[in-house]
Amino acid sequence: MTDLTMAQAVAEAAKYIGAGVAMGIGAIGPGIGEGHIGQGAMEAMGRQPEMVGTITARMLLSQAVAESTGLYSLLIAFMILLF
Amino acid sequence: MKVKFSKGEKIFLSGFLVVYVIIAIWNLNKIEFPKGIGEVWQVKVPLPSILGTLNPITIIMTAVIFLLITYMAIDFKRHLTKIPSRKQAGIETVLSFVYELVEDVIPVKEFVRPTFYISATLFLFILFSNLLGGIPGISFGVSNHHLILNLFNDTWPSPTGDLNTNVTYAVMVLFISHIFAIKLKGFKTWMKGFVSPNPIMLPMNIIGELAKPVSHSLRLFGNIAGGGIMVLMLSYLTKYTIVPVVLWGFFGFFVGTVQAFVFSMLAIAYISVQLEQ
Repeated sequence: MTDLTMAQAVAEAAKYIGAGVAMGIGAIGPGIGEGHIGQGAMEAMGRQPEMVGTITARMLLSQAVAESTGLYSLLIAFMILLF
Repeated sequence: MKVKFSKGEKIFLSGFLVVYVIIAIWNLNKIEFPKGIGEVWQVKVPLPSILGTLNPITIIMTAVIFLLITYMAIDFKRHLTKIPSRKQAGIETVLSFVYELVEDVIPVKEFVRPTFYISATLFLFILFSNLLGGIPGISFGVSNHHLILNLFNDTWPSPTGDLNTNVTYAVMVLFISHIFAIKLKGFKTWMKGFVSPNPIMLPMNIIGELAKPVSHSLRLFGNIAGGGIMVLMLSYLTKYTIVPVVLWGFFGFFVGTVQAFVFSMLAIAYISVQLEQ
């Protein structure tokens, strides 16, 4: 590894910390949201077992929508690390 | 479910496993992280302004998918029969599924068919390009202004992994939804929609409309591109043993199908919001 000045070393370290914090905090929201969606779907399936197919499809759809905020933070983390 | 193997198959499978493990150990120290990740091959052409830069890989893969779908469509039309073959039944099931979704959501009857054409086309194109991102193949990278071929350590480059494709389709959906709204309601009523419930909300409404294509396109891009980079990193860490097959299957096929469905579903929803009276 090449020699870094103090400022460069701090910037380099801050990159990794920033990427980790971005991904870690960014994963909280979608985690909670997807949990709620799963809970709702499970309750609905318990109440109406004959609707399982439809509910599963809708559940996956809304989970994919809820997941997108987590993916934004994943993208930001990759961009911080790679560029 | 019980799976039974004959003796020949057992010998073949165990021989395959032994060869696989030997090659994996042989390659342990030789595997490098593929270079040029996150860099895109761009070509400058002497054209004015924004048309001056091209991403050749995206264009080539888009053309390949167009040709594939066109060939499939022609083949489908040529072999139409009263008693459907397996291929015909599959295509009909997918398209009628999309048609029923559109019929449920769109409130105006005369806009059902145009919306169906748009959303089904988007669905098919995005589905095919996402599935391409689940099949290992040749990908391209750039490092130090040199083009690098990565042979079979990454998937085929899918057009939806490039933000330009996604933004194009998202902006197209935005324009189409507003054109439909103008056609249905007339120009004045459409303009009134921006100042409802009162004129103070005008900037909010405009920002809300502009935010639609942003989230619409970045969702698909984040899934495909982020998933691709994640698979690359994990398969490098495990030295390309067993794990990449599972991950390519998950990210390419499962996530790809769900995201294609979500993209066309949201396109239908955005159009139907504009058509409400």
